[in-house]
Amino acid sequence: MNPFSPQKNIKAALMILVLALAAGGCSTSVKRMDAAEVKDLSGAWNDTDSQQVSAEMIQDVLNRAWLGEFSSTQKRQPAVIVGEVSNLSHEHINTNTFVSDMERELINSGKVQFVASSTERREIRGERKDQDIHASEATRKAMGQEKGADFMLKGTINTIIDASGKTQLRFYQIDLTLISLADNSKVWVGQKKIKKLVERSQLRF
Amino acid sequence: MYRVHYLAVLLGVWTLGGCATYSSSFGVIEHDLSARQYDAALQGIEKQAGSKTDRVLYLLNKGMVLRMKGDFAGSNRVLEAAKAEMARLYAVSVRENTLSFIVNDATVSYVGDDYEQVLVHLYMALNYLELGQPDKARVEALQVDIKLRELGENISDSKFTEDAFSRYLTGMIYEERGEWSDALIAYRKAYDAYRKYQSNYGLAMPTLLKHDLLRLAKRQGLSDELAQYKKEFGIEPPREDSRAPEQEGELVFVLNNGLAPIKREKAAALIDPASGVLVRIALPYYESRSNNVVAARISVAGKQITTELMEDIDAIARQSLDTRMAAITARSLARAAVKVTTQKALSRGGGNNENDAMVGLLGSLAMQVAAVATERADTRSWLTLPANIQLARLPLPPGSYTIKVELLDAGEQIVATREYPGVVISKAHKTYLIEHWVPAQLFTSRRKK
Repeated sequence: MNPFSPQKNIKAALMILVLALAAGGCSTSVKRMDAAEVKDLSGAWNDTDSQQVSAEMIQDVLNRAWLGEFSSTQKRQPAVIVGEVSNLSHEHINTNTFVSDMERELINSGKVQFVASSTERREIRGERKDQDIHASEATRKAMGQEKGADFMLKGTINTIIDASGKTQLRFYQIDLTLISLADNSKVWVGQKKIKKLVERSQLRF
Repeated sequence: MYRVHYLAVLLGVWTLGGCATYSSSFGVIEHDLSARQYDAALQGIEKQAGSKTDRVLYLLNKGMVLRMKGDFAGSNRVLEAAKAEMARLYAVSVRENTLSFIVNDATVSYVGDDYEQVLVHLYMALNYLELGQPDKARVEALQVDIKLRELGENISDSKFTEDAFSRYLTGMIYEERGEWSDALIAYRKAYDAYRKYQSNYGLAMPTLLKHDLLRLAKRQGLSDELAQYKKEFGIEPPREDSRAPEQEGELVFVLNNGLAPIKREKAAALIDPASGVLVRIALPYYESRSNNVVAARISVAGKQITTELMEDIDAIARQSLDTRMAAITARSLARAAVKVTTQKALSRGGGNNENDAMVGLLGSLAMQVAAVATERADTRSWLTLPANIQLARLPLPPGSYTIKVELLDAGEQIVATREYPGVVISKAHKTYLIEHWVPAQLFTSRRKK
């Protein structure tokens, strides 16, 4: 029996062709997911982390003593502004989505008042200047009537990485501080930790 | 039935023509770069976009040319994609490696040499620094640290376990942010790495680093360490200046000088004495690219300063290939053995009648042509990297300056002059200015027609 007969070669070639076609036939598939569903792909900081951390930390800040004390002495709700959350981690984290997650949680709690951020304020001031010239007397908004914030929320995102071979342990620590703008005193410090074990695959097709 | 085999022979011959190695197709792009025709170079690179196995190289080259063009944000997007692709290729492909055992090494997806994987972070950090985003450069600094720790963990023959210039740049990034202890640790690691560079590549410890170590050791009040550096380097720490150094800014000039060496192929065809079968062994070797510039002189506001050599990529690349050569040669020999065995089986395979014998002979011939044609060296490497990186730092009072850069040859004659008007230096801030000098190559005959 000749193992290299042309007939066999053709059969083998056909076989390879079929396999290649089968492998190439995978098309793009799309599956809709709920925004709250947890899906970890690479192990990097993702939407789930951002949502979970902001929800938990804002929950914590709103249940602490400073809020009650401020309300009882000042007889009004405190006005809060979210400052910079600086990224000191090893990943390019989009802190904007994290900050807006926190803003949403804070505003929707109804326990504090909220002041627009410095970039937003600049835009609004421009609009007010424009109103000064173009808007009617009745609808014009005066300058110098802005509400000043009482507290600023600032924070950092840090990571510690421990890796060996294909295994990587990622430790995220998010620190937030609420600072009183009147006297620089820190009225609340919050911390949240996330730990992830990432195993990298060593083989692929 | 003959037709099938004629087709195979034809196919073999056709493959021979199409099998130009990776590096030989790069001449035109190189020519565009030296003429500073970056859009034309990008178009040339775009032709390689389709290759699945060379995707990392396509992204690395594209990212590098985009930054030469001045599109730093675009460069970072592309280099980030290159990093993601490298991470994906961490997993070894069963299919590609099987194929490499039969065809050649270039069938395996190129994941990047160790030094290339580190330098992606370096160039992304430089992009962020030129964009004035030191916070994002800091992210890259941390990723370099993770990558270098990973390399240091692997017990291998490779001499490249630390990247001195990346460590040094990391130190500068921390220093600008006022993270003094982190900066000192980074400078210490750069110091250790430069000591290794001295013995491995003959690159001396840069004077810039010596002054930084002294300054930071003094600032942190580490008197023992300060005394040790003073004794070793034979220089004094800067005396307290009457002007507060916080009031000054700094110009950091980086010269990406020349182009990294290019891999060429050396091949030998020989007849296996036992079977009379023709085999070919093809191995890569590095060829340095010609460059007449050895340093740059920066003139600004009546001050002059010359750049210092910080990283010799040419030497690092050569040594990296040297340590891999034994494995590459072994694989090439193993492939030759496989090909000889297959051909012997094919030529024996002739059957009972004349037709089958004829078919067997033709099949064997086709196989032989294909075997010789496909044995090519893997000449892939990141070709748009510079041959070396040089640095100059100059403290300046805040203001807007016109900076003149003169590129000098070995006899200190001026090869080319560049002027950068309106460079803004601000208080307690480092302003990065980066120039990539690509000389016209002498070997233009290698250009593909």
